[in-house]
Amino acid sequence: MNRVSRRSSRLVVIALLVLTSLVLSVVPAMSQDAHPLAGQSIEMSILGIGGWLPSSLGAQMANDLFVGYAQENYGYNVSFTFTESPFESLFQRAAASLQTGSDEFNIIISDSQWLGALATPGWIVDIDGLIENGLPDLGIDPQPSLDLELFSDVARTTYQVFPDGSDEIWGLPQEGDVQVLFVRTDIVNNPDEMAAFEAANGFAIPSTFEEWEVLTMDQFELIAGFFTRPDQDLYGVAMQHSIVYDFYSMQLYPFMWSLGGQAWDPATRTMVGVLDTPVNAEAMEWNRRMLNYTPPGALSMGIGENVDAFTQGKVATSIQWAAVGLSMVTDENRDVVAIVPPPQFVREDGTTSRVYSMGGQPWVLNAFNPADKMRVAVDFLNWWYLPETQLEFAIRGGNPTVAATLNDPTFDDINPWNRAYKYMLQNDRAQDFWHEPNYAEMLALQQEAFTAFAAGEYNDALSVLNFVACEQQQILFDNGRTEVAPPDECEDAEPQ
Amino acid sequence: MAQADLSSPARLQQAAVPAMTPLRRFLMRFNRLFDDARLLPVLLIAPVLIFFIVWNVIPTLWMIGLSFYRYQISIPDSLAFLGIDNYTDIIRDRAMWQGLSRTFIWVFFGVGIQTLLGMVLGFLFWGSKSMPGRRLALTLLFTPMIVTPVAAGLFFRLIYEPTFGILNWFTQSFFGQEVLLLQNPEVAFWAVLFVDIWMWTPFMILITLAALASVPKAEMEAAEIDRLSWFDRIRYIILPHGKYILMLGILLRTIDSFKTLDLVYLMAVPGSTTKLIAILLRESAFEALNVGWSSALAIILLLTAIAFTSIYLYILNLNSKAKAKEVAT
Repeated sequence: MNRVSRRSSRLVVIALLVLTSLVLSVVPAMSQDAHPLAGQSIEMSILGIGGWLPSSLGAQMANDLFVGYAQENYGYNVSFTFTESPFESLFQRAAASLQTGSDEFNIIISDSQWLGALATPGWIVDIDGLIENGLPDLGIDPQPSLDLELFSDVARTTYQVFPDGSDEIWGLPQEGDVQVLFVRTDIVNNPDEMAAFEAANGFAIPSTFEEWEVLTMDQFELIAGFFTRPDQDLYGVAMQHSIVYDFYSMQLYPFMWSLGGQAWDPATRTMVGVLDTPVNAEAMEWNRRMLNYTPPGALSMGIGENVDAFTQGKVATSIQWAAVGLSMVTDENRDVVAIVPPPQFVREDGTTSRVYSMGGQPWVLNAFNPADKMRVAVDFLNWWYLPETQLEFAIRGGNPTVAATLNDPTFDDINPWNRAYKYMLQNDRAQDFWHEPNYAEMLALQQEAFTAFAAGEYNDALSVLNFVACEQQQILFDNGRTEVAPPDECEDAEPQ
Repeated sequence: MAQADLSSPARLQQAAVPAMTPLRRFLMRFNRLFDDARLLPVLLIAPVLIFFIVWNVIPTLWMIGLSFYRYQISIPDSLAFLGIDNYTDIIRDRAMWQGLSRTFIWVFFGVGIQTLLGMVLGFLFWGSKSMPGRRLALTLLFTPMIVTPVAAGLFFRLIYEPTFGILNWFTQSFFGQEVLLLQNPEVAFWAVLFVDIWMWTPFMILITLAALASVPKAEMEAAEIDRLSWFDRIRYIILPHGKYILMLGILLRTIDSFKTLDLVYLMAVPGSTTKLIAILLRESAFEALNVGWSSALAIILLLTAIAFTSIYLYILNLNSKAKAKEVAT
C-alpha cells in the first residue's frame, strides 16, 4: 500500500512538473500571440539630428537590435527609417510636419529646449499620461516601466519636463550630454612645458582628474594663454562662439551660472532684472576675453570646427560636449587625450562653483501616430530603457542617463569621457535653460546680440543683456507666457 | 413579327458610319472648340491661368488674409483678428528698418557692381570672338551662376575659414598676414556680398552678350567705316539698341537680390551685420512660427518688389515713348 501510495505521489509530482514545464513553455508563446501586432509588418520613421552621432546611434540600434527583439518577443516585423535634419532646422522640419497632423515621423529626437514648443500645440504625447493611464483610445495600457529612475534630477528637468519647474513629463532621455574639458596631454603635460609654466605662474599644470577638478577658470585662463602661440599655429582652447543655433549661448551660460548669475526666473518667467545683471555682464566680458586664446575665426566655431581644431592638434584644450567624445578621441590621439571636468569659477564671496550647460536630447512621440505605430513606439521605448540596451548604447559611444546604468561599476571605464560625463551630470554642476514655446525666437534674438558683442559690434555688455532681457520679456508677455510686462525703461533699451 | 429591311439604301448608309460612342462625341465637340477663333486663346492660356490662380493668386490672397490676424502655430488658440496691427508693428519695428536698409545697400552695391563688371567682361568677350578656347572660357565663367547658393555659401565659408581655410593659408604663407573676414563686423557684409557678386556677375555677362547680339551688324559696320570711337559706338549704337535687354537683366537681378536668403544664412556671420530683410522674415516665419506677422512682412516686401518693377517698367516705357516720338518726327 505504501509502495503504491509512494508511486502514485511520484507520478503526481512528475505530472505536476510536466504540466508546469508545459505551462512555462506555452506562456511566452501565448504572450507573443497576445501582442496585437503579431504577424504584422510595421515601418517606423525616426527624425533626428543630422550629423549627430548619438541620434544616428539611436536609429542604428533600433534597426540592429530592436528589430530582432520585436520579432522574438512580440512577433511583428518592424523596420526603421532615419531622417536627419541639422540642429538649427530640426524643429522646423518637425513642426512643418506635425502642424498638419502628419505621422510622417513617429518618433522624434528633439532638442531639450523644444519640449515646450512641441508640447504646447499638442503635437507630442504626454508621457505622464502614458505612464499613468496609457493611451486608451489606441488600446495602449499604462506604461509604469517608462517612469524612469534617472541618474540625477537635472537629467529629468532637462529631458523630460515642461513647463520649467513643473512635474509634467513630455520626453524621455535619448542621449545625456554635458560639457567637459578635453586635454591634449602630449602638449599640456609635456615636462618641459609644465616646468616652464610653473616657473612663470607659480602653480603646476594639473595632470590628473582630481587636479583638474580643482582648477579654477582664472588658472585655466593662464594655462590657455601660455599655450596660445600663433607663430606655432597652437592655441590654448577651442570653444564655440558661433551664431549658429545655440552654440554661443551654450558656452556663455556656464560663465554666468558659475559666477552666480541666472538666465531667467522660471517661476515668474522674468527676464528683466535677472539676465541683465552686473554679474552676467562680467561673465560676458570674460567669455569674450577667452577669444584671445582660441584659434583665429573662433567666432565661426561650432561643434564641428571645435572637433577639427582639437583633433588636428591646433589647440591644447577644448571645452566640448561629451557626446562628441567618439569624434574627439581618435585612433591617433587616443593615448594623449584626457577628459576631465571643465574649470570651476571663484565667485565674489570666495566660494567656488561649476555650473555648465546641459546638452543632450529627449525622445518624443508624435501624438498623431496611428495605433499600430504608437504601440511599436512604446515597445521601442520600453526596450530602449532595458539595462542591457542602455549598456549597449554606452558601449557604442552613447551617453545613457538611467541611474542603474551609470551606477554600474563598469560604466566609468567604457569610454574615456564617462567619468567626466558622470561627474558633470549632477544637479549643482549642470543646468538647462528655458523650454518655452517661443524658444526659437528668444534664442535667435540673443544669439545675434551676444555674437555681435563678441565680434565687437557692441561693447557694453550690460546694455546688450538689458536689450535681450527686454525683448525676451516682451515675447513672453505677448504670448501670454508671463504676467510680467517689460518695464517702461525697456522702450529705450538699445545695445551699445 | 415584321422583319426590318436591312438591305434598304438608308439602312446601308447608316451602317457605313461608325457608331458614335459618348467618348467620341465628347472628343468631337472638344475639337470643335479649337475651331472657334475667340475661344482658342482662352483655351490655350487656361492651363497656365489655372496654375497661376491655384499656386499664386490663392496663396497670396490667403497670405493677405493671414496678415490681419495674430496666428502663431506653436501657440494653440492664438488666432485672433488684429486689423492692421501687424503692419503698424512692423513699421515701428527697428529690426525691420535695419534689415531693410541693409538690404537696399546689398541690392544697390551688389547689382551695381555685377552690372558694371558684367558689361565690361561681356564687351571683352564680344570683342574676342576669334580667341582660342573662348567657348570653354565662357562655359567656365558661367559656372558660379549654376552653383546653388547653399553650395556657394558653404564653399566660401570654408575658403574664408581662418584656421583651416585656403584664403588665410595663402595670405599667411605669402604675406604673413591673417585675414578675418566673416568674424570682423566691419568687413563681413562686404565679404558675403563678394560671394553674391561672384555668383551673379556671369548672369550680367550673359545679358550683356544678349544685348550686344541685338545690335544690327550694319550699324556697327557703318560705325567702323565712319571711324567712330568705341565710346561713341557704345553711346550711339550699342546702348540705344541693347539697353532694354540690359534693363531687363538689372530688373531681374534687383528682384532676386532683394530676396537673398540662403547665401547669407549659410555664411553664419556673427551679430547682425548681414541680417537682410529675408533673414528676418525667415526667423519670424520658420523659427518663431509667427504666421500672421510674417505674412504682413511678406506683403510689405511683395509691394516693395512690385514698386521696383514698376519703376523699371516706367523707365522702359519712357524710353519707348521717346523712341516712338523720335521716329514720328
